[in-house]
Amino acid sequence: MEDRYLEVWGDTVDKRHLLISIILGVGISVPVYLIADWLFGMLADGAVGHSYALLVGLAGCIAAAVVAARLFKPKRIVEVGTEHTGSREAAMDAIEAEIGPLGDPDELPRAALAEVKELGLYDDLKAQHEKNRRTAVETGERA
Amino acid sequence: MTALLEPTLWALGMALLGAVVFALIGLVSGTDETATVAPLTLLVILLGVPPAGVFAFFMASIAAKHVTHAIPTTLLGIPGDTMAAPLLRDAQMLRELGVPHIALRKAISGGAMAALIAVPLAVLFAWIITPFSDAISAVAPWLFLAAAVLIAVLSKGRWGALIALVPFVLIIVGLQQFSSDILGKGLSISFFLGIATGPLIADLVLASTPAGRRSMARPGPRVFELAADVRTWSGRMPNPAKVLDRTQFWGTAGAAAVSSATFVFSPVAMTVMMGELFGGRIKNGYRKLTTLMAVKNGTTESTYIAETLIPLIAIGLPLSPMAAGPANPLFNAPPVFTIDTETGATHNLHDLLGPWQFLVFGLLAVIIALLITYPFAMTQAHRAASWIMRHVSHEAIIGAFAGLIAVICLYEGGIVAILVAVTVGLVGGLMNRLFAMHTGVQFMGYYVAALTVPAIGGLFS
Repeated sequence: MEDRYLEVWGDTVDKRHLLISIILGVGISVPVYLIADWLFGMLADGAVGHSYALLVGLAGCIAAAVVAARLFKPKRIVEVGTEHTGSREAAMDAIEAEIGPLGDPDELPRAALAEVKELGLYDDLKAQHEKNRRTAVETGERA
Repeated sequence: MTALLEPTLWALGMALLGAVVFALIGLVSGTDETATVAPLTLLVILLGVPPAGVFAFFMASIAAKHVTHAIPTTLLGIPGDTMAAPLLRDAQMLRELGVPHIALRKAISGGAMAALIAVPLAVLFAWIITPFSDAISAVAPWLFLAAAVLIAVLSKGRWGALIALVPFVLIIVGLQQFSSDILGKGLSISFFLGIATGPLIADLVLASTPAGRRSMARPGPRVFELAADVRTWSGRMPNPAKVLDRTQFWGTAGAAAVSSATFVFSPVAMTVMMGELFGGRIKNGYRKLTTLMAVKNGTTESTYIAETLIPLIAIGLPLSPMAAGPANPLFNAPPVFTIDTETGATHNLHDLLGPWQFLVFGLLAVIIALLITYPFAMTQAHRAASWIMRHVSHEAIIGAFAGLIAVICLYEGGIVAILVAVTVGLVGGLMNRLFAMHTGVQFMGYYVAALTVPAIGGLFS
C-alpha cells in the first residue's frame, strides 16, 4: 500500500482526506455562490448583488471547512513537554556552543536578575557559570 | 458631526472584526500573511466597506495576527508565518531552557510597543516625502522595474530570481492579453490570488503526480512538542511596558524608529539587521536571547506597518514588499480601488483618506487589536495552541482556500479567471520552490507587466 501521508503547504495531510476536503470546499462554495449571484441578480441591481453573493460564497467556504474539520482529524501528534526534563544543563551547553556564554546571573541588571529568579533559572545559570569558570581555570592550568 | 461619526464607527467595527478573525488565523501555524490578509482585505473592499473601515480592518488584522502568530512560534517551534522565521532559533533556545512563556511575553510586548511607535512615525515619514510624490509617480513604471530587480536580487534566489522574473513577467503579459481578448477587460484580483496561493497550488499539482507524491511522502503524522504551560504571574495581567527591561525597551523603540523610516527592504532582512544592531552586542546569553525576541518581533511589526503606510500615504503606488504583498488590495482592487496602467493615476486609499485619518484610524485599529489579543495571548496561549493543533485539520484549511480561490475568481471573471489564477499560481509556486523567488518578487513582477512593459513599448513605438 502506498503511504497515505503527504506534506502539503507546510503540514502533514492524508491524501484522500485532502482530496475530499477540496471537493467539499469547491463543491459547497461554488454552487452556493452561483445560486446567490443569480438570486441577488433578480432582486438587486448589478454590482451590489454581485458583492453580496461573494459574501455568501465565503460563508460557503467556512461551512465547508467546518464540515471537513469535523470529518477529518488533524494528522498531528501533540506532545506536551514537561517543565523540567533534567536536560537543562545539556540544553545550556548546546546554547553556549552556538551563541556564547550565558554568563554570570549576578552580573545582570536588577530587573533581569529578578526575572531569572522568578523563572527559577537563577540556580541553573549560576551552576552553569561556575562550571564554565572551573573548566576555564583547568584548561588555563594545563596550558 | 455625522460626517465624522460614520467613518469612525466603520473603523471601530471593522477593526474589531479584523482583530478577532486574524487573532484566530494567527494561531494556525504556517498561515502565510499574503495568502490570508490579502484575500480577506480584498473581500472587505469588494463588499463596499467605506475607506476608513477598510483601512482599520487591515491594520487591526496585521496587528492581531502579529501578536497571535508568536504563539506557535514560541510554544511549538514552528514559524507563525514567513516573517516569524528570523525569531525561530532564538525562541527555540528559550524553549529548551524551559521558559517558552518568557519568549512569548518578550516577543509580543516588543511587538505591541513597536506597533504603537510605528504608526505615528510612519505617518510622519510619509508626510516628509509627500512633496516628492508627483515626481515619484511620474517615473513609477521605472521605479517598479527598479524595485522588482532590487527585491529579486535581495531575495534568497538572488540572480536566479531575477532571471526567472523575465519569463514570469512575460507570462503575465500574455495571460492579461488572453483575458482581455475573451472578457473585454484585464484581470487583477485573480493574478494576486494566484500569486498569493501559488505555493499551495504548486504543492497540490505536485501531489497529483506519482514522482511528486514520493518526494512529499511522510512516514506518519507529524509530532509536535508543545511546551509545558508555565505561568509565572498570578492574577493580574503583566503590563507590556514592565515585561521589558530598560535595554529591551529602548532597543525595541530604537529598532522600531529606524525600521519605520525605511520601506523598500525585505522585512526579514530588516529584522535580522535590527537584531544584530540592538541585541548583538549583549554579552550575557540569557539577556541577549530575551532582548532579541523583543527587538526582532518589534522590527517585523514596525516594518510591516511602515512598508504599508509610507507608500500608501505618500505615493499611492504599491512600492514596497509589504505593499506589493499583503497590503496590495489597499492600492489596487478593481473596480473599487484602481491604478490606471497607462497614466499611473490612482484611485485608492491614498486619494480617499488624509494623513491625519491614516494616523487616527491606524492607531485606533492597532489599539483595538492589542486590547483583544494581548490579554488573550498572555493567558490563553497554551490552551488555544493546543485546541487548534488537535481540532483544526490542515485538510480543512486547504479545502476552504480552494473554495475561496474558486469563488473570488468566478466573481472577477468566470472560468477564464480561474484558469488565469491556476496558471499564475502553478508557475509562481514552482518558481518559488525552485528559485526561491518569493511572492513579493512575483507581485512586483505583476506591476512590471502592468506598468513597465507598456512604458518600454512606448519607447519603441
